[in-house]
Order: sequence, then structure tokens, then C-alpha cells
Amino acid sequence: MNPRGSLLSLPGVPPLLSLAALLVLWQLAARLAGIEGLPSATRVIAALPAIVFNPGSLIEIGASLGRMAIGFLIALLVAIPTGLVMGRSRAVAGFLNPLLALIYPVPKAALMPVIMLWFGVGDFSKMLVIFLGVSLPLVFHSYAGARAVDEKLVWSAMAMGMPAHRRVFAIILPSALPEVMLGCRVGIAMALIVMVSSEMIARQSGVGNLLFNSLDMAQYDTVYATIIVIGAIGFALDALFETVRRRLTFWAEVREETVVGTG
Amino acid sequence: MIAIDHLSKSFRTEKGADHPALVDISISVPEGQFLSVLGPSGCGKSTLLYIVGGFVPASSGSVEVAGRPVTGPGPDRGPVFQEFALFPWKSVQGNVIYGLLEQGVPREEAERRVAKLLDAVHLKGYENFYPKELSGGMKQRVAIARTLAYDPAILLMDEPFGSLDAHTRTVLQNELLSIWERDRKTVLFVTHGVEEAVFLSDRVFVMTASPGRQKAVIDIDLPRPRVRSELLLNRRYQEYVVEIERLMENPAG
Repeated sequence: MNPRGSLLSLPGVPPLLSLAALLVLWQLAARLAGIEGLPSATRVIAALPAIVFNPGSLIEIGASLGRMAIGFLIALLVAIPTGLVMGRSRAVAGFLNPLLALIYPVPKAALMPVIMLWFGVGDFSKMLVIFLGVSLPLVFHSYAGARAVDEKLVWSAMAMGMPAHRRVFAIILPSALPEVMLGCRVGIAMALIVMVSSEMIARQSGVGNLLFNSLDMAQYDTVYATIIVIGAIGFALDALFETVRRRLTFWAEVREETVVGTG
Repeated sequence: MIAIDHLSKSFRTEKGADHPALVDISISVPEGQFLSVLGPSGCGKSTLLYIVGGFVPASSGSVEVAGRPVTGPGPDRGPVFQEFALFPWKSVQGNVIYGLLEQGVPREEAERRVAKLLDAVHLKGYENFYPKELSGGMKQRVAIARTLAYDPAILLMDEPFGSLDAHTRTVLQNELLSIWERDRKTVLFVTHGVEEAVFLSDRVFVMTASPGRQKAVIDIDLPRPRVRSELLLNRRYQEYVVEIERLMENPAG
């Protein structure tokens, strides 16, 4: 093995290298373009501490994350059981599928103006739109997972005398869990996207508001720095979720899948 | 005891036609008997077992177990499936103890029983393994232990050794026989292996190809406990195998 190969095979080195490459490209592009709307990477990085150590912007970020967490948790509680029951009952699936198919392609942020008309620009509207954004992928993955449950697992439990009402949580949920977790992962990406876009529409508080305020004031380095902060939050949430997912589904046969969120 | 009376089953195909799977099956299995249901693939023999299990409803006719009509699954009939159907999120211990806890057996007593069973199926030391870490033969041992754990009066075995390699299959057949010869449960054993059926059974129910009808019922009059190596030299055993093989050669008739 040559030394370069061994360096590249160290965990964490390839991502650091790609990050470095991105920063170099950015720096070059900013130099070449020389426009105000594309500040250099070094200037943007220098603007990061002003966001990360500013109590005001931290409160905004905290407010965003709080809304996201509540919207996400309520989606978990509603969407997973809904999807699981759909997967086990043709009647329920037949009723809900057309409705879901209708809402699915609508960007959830596009519902924001209507929701604002009804519920105002406050927290409730934003949490509702996050809830909607997270729910759909979660329902679909839970539905797919519940449909794919091996009937013989259910039969085995029935033969042990398990009553019907306990099956959904005792057998269907754990069987479908790997698929449900994929839905959660898409859901986290969706929650982040919808969170920011809802705050850009209902500009009252939050990271999205922070972003647009700096844009209004032509503080372009802060705009880019805010985008970096949002990206970092997404990255951290995904990494955290992956740890949880591995803990909960370590028993599953390995099945690697690419997860792509849609905004 | 199981009493199957003029049982028929048809499935609705995608195009909406009725496709007969089982036609007019009547057989009764006395308590403590090991009955094999033998037939070519697709003859509906597994369906027959699912109906006795209460997992699938019959189209007409009746199935009674211990004098009561079957209306659904119950712990008096323990299934063992070809695909093992273990709970993948539970360890070996967790799988085997599941039915006991489900039935409200106190944990301590349940644990004692599980330890005994895992010993009986040679899985001592594998308590904390998960199904994905086990070979096919080990998974099926876990599945058998899991079903034996809640002590069903009847075992419903659906080609339990069908997906195992020849050597593992032989080993598990021997183990099943030695377990069965101890407590003599009623067994309904679905298979397409003639030698397996003759080796294990008191009686063999031979079915025609699709739709499955009764073709022959053959009593296997061979001494127990049966030892495979002795049996293979036994003239009567060989004759049973040849007789049934011949029946199977013409699947329709």
C-alpha cells in the first residue's frame, strides 16, 4: 500500500478533502467573478462567528428548530400509524391513497399562503406546514413497509394468541421499521426545507427570516454564512438520525438505499 | 385430533375467475399421529395446512380440531414454516420466549422453559444471536423451539426442511423425530419429499397435482424409534418409498 492510498482510506479524510476542494473552487470563482453577490469563501467564513455567537441569531435558530421538532414529532405520531394501517387494510389504503397522491406533488411551502390566511403568520402555521411536509414521505414509507411484512410473521404471532389490536405495534411496526426509518430520514430533510421556506414566506422569525433580512440589507457574506449554518444543521441532524437508526435496526438484513428528499 | 371433512378451496384469480386449489379433501388425524401430506408443488398442500391453522378460510367443507370448528389461529396449533418466519428484531431467546410471554407465563418460568428447549434443539450458547446471524438450519431450529415453547397440541409443519441443504435436512429430520417420539404431538407435515414422508410418518396422505385431490392414504407400518441408517436397509421402508414414488410419477391420476 502506498502512503497516499493509506491516507485516503482513513475515515473522515475523503469528506475533508472534498470540503477543501469546494472551498478552493468557491474562492477562485469569487475572485474571477468579482461581483458583490458572490463574496469569497474566506469572507463568508469570517462572517460565521457573528451568527454562531450572536444571541439574537441563536434565538432565531432555536425558534426554527423548536418548530421543526414539534412539526416532525407530531408527524411521527400521526403519519407512521396511518401508513401502517394503510398497509394492512385495503379499504383504508383505497380511501387515503388518492388523497395523498393528490397532495404529494404540491410543494408544501406553496400551501403556506393559504395556511397563513387561515391561521396567521405565527408558529402554528409554520409547524402545520412542516407537519404536512414530513407526513407524506413518512406515510408512504410506512405504508410500503407494512405492505411488505411477511404474512407468516403475522400468522406466527396469531398462533401464539396475540389479539388483533396488538399486532400493529407488536409485529407490523418492528417488521416495517427499516422502511419507516428511511421515511424518517427523508422526513428530516423535508422538515428542514419546509422550515426555511415557510420562514421566508411568513417572515416573522427563524433562520429563513435571518437569511432574507441580510439579503435585504445586502449583507451577502451573512447570507452565505446563514446558508452554511442551515446546511450544517441539516448535516448534524442527519448524522444524529443515522446513529439512532443504526441502533434501532441493527438486526435488519443490510439493504443500502439512496435517499433523496424532494422539496 | 383433526377432522377434515369435504374441504374445498378456490382462489379468485386476478382476472376474476375462480381457480380451484383443493377439491373435496376428507381425512382425519387421530391424536398423537404423525401425518404427512405429500404432493407435487402447487397441489395446494400448504393451503390445506393454512386452513387447518385458521390462517386461510375454507371455501366449503369443514375442519374441526378437538371437536371444535376452526375459525381462526390459536395456540393449540403451532405452525412451523419453510421460511422460518422468525421475528428478525428479536434475539434467539426473544423469539423462543415470545409466545410464552404472550400467554402470560411468568418470566422466570418462561426463561427456564426456553433454556430447556434451546438445549433440546442444540442452540445453547446462541441465546443472544439475531436471526440474520444464523444459518438456515439454525433458524429452523429456533423456529421449532419457538413453536414447541407454547406447547401446542398440534404441530403444523409446512415443508420445514425444504430450503435446507441435504445434510442439514437429515440432521433436523432426526432431531425432529427424537423430539416427537418423546411427547407424541399430533403432526401435520407438508412435504414433497417421499423419503422424508416415509421416514417420519405414521401415515402419508398423497395428493394429486393442481387442483389437489386425495390420491391415496398409506399407513406406514415401520417400528419406532426409527433410525435412519437402519431404515435405509429395511425392505419394507424401501417398498413404501417405491410404492409412493410410483404414485407420484403420474401426478394427475
